[in-house]
Amino acid sequence: MTPTTGFHRHGEDTFIANFAETEREVLVNLVQQILEILAERHDQASDDPLAAMVGITSHDSPPDDEVLLRLLPNAYQDGVDAAEFRRYTESTLRDKKRGHAMSIRMLLLSASDGDVALDFANAQAWLGGLNDIRLALGVRLQVAQNSPADLELLAPDDPMRAVYAVYTWLGWLQETLVEALMGQEFSDDD
Amino acid sequence: MGDIKTQPTVSSETEAEISAIFQSDRPWVVIVWDDPINLMTYVTYVFMTVFEYSKERATQLMMQVHNEGKSTVASGAREEMERYVQRLHEYGLWATIARADKE
Repeated sequence: MTPTTGFHRHGEDTFIANFAETEREVLVNLVQQILEILAERHDQASDDPLAAMVGITSHDSPPDDEVLLRLLPNAYQDGVDAAEFRRYTESTLRDKKRGHAMSIRMLLLSASDGDVALDFANAQAWLGGLNDIRLALGVRLQVAQNSPADLELLAPDDPMRAVYAVYTWLGWLQETLVEALMGQEFSDDD
Repeated sequence: MGDIKTQPTVSSETEAEISAIFQSDRPWVVIVWDDPINLMTYVTYVFMTVFEYSKERATQLMMQVHNEGKSTVASGAREEMERYVQRLHEYGLWATIARADKE
């Protein structure tokens, strides 16, 4: 099977891509990991069913895990305001991110011959979901400290080399989806 | 007949409370911070989608984030800014809310 050529717009509101079996496996595995990371941050059973119903969570402190903190960042630099905002919004944000990951997983698992077709809503879910994977991998690769040149020079037996290869592949895949959504008129000056 | 009421006074505490009410109307801002992971085209697209900015304006703000480390991308009432930041976080951008005079 040939590697994917990325996303293309098909008609008015559909975005299609074809994934090779190995690409599909890698992506399904990665979204599964995102779902597991998000699940680590489950809410302790709330005594107050009303609070649970309106999405108030038991969390008001930022996650200790660096990846989770990047996925669920503080909305204020001030700690008190950040805690207050998190208490009322974090569970909604987690649900959204879970939804994005589920959309990727569901459509990949049900893709016959690797064909994936996204409507506009699913395209938004995939953009966010692919980005969450890139954020998680980027934190692990420490892209803030390591330049692309450093990462290109990783030794062939360094496990991070494979992670970096997937990271760059996901960036390219995401870019094809962004360009398809923008009508392919955006000139790339990166 | 009742007593003549004493004249109400305005204490410094009342003044502070009134002042706080007016301060709450002060515009708040959304700041987006530079991030080595998010792609430039993606950030531009998110600005166009979340704020309904033109591609030109969205690109300009993205470049400011890229070159200067941050950019103020919206301003207004606090609740509105919080909704924007929530959406930016859904897309994975690194965004915070601040008072306009404290950014």
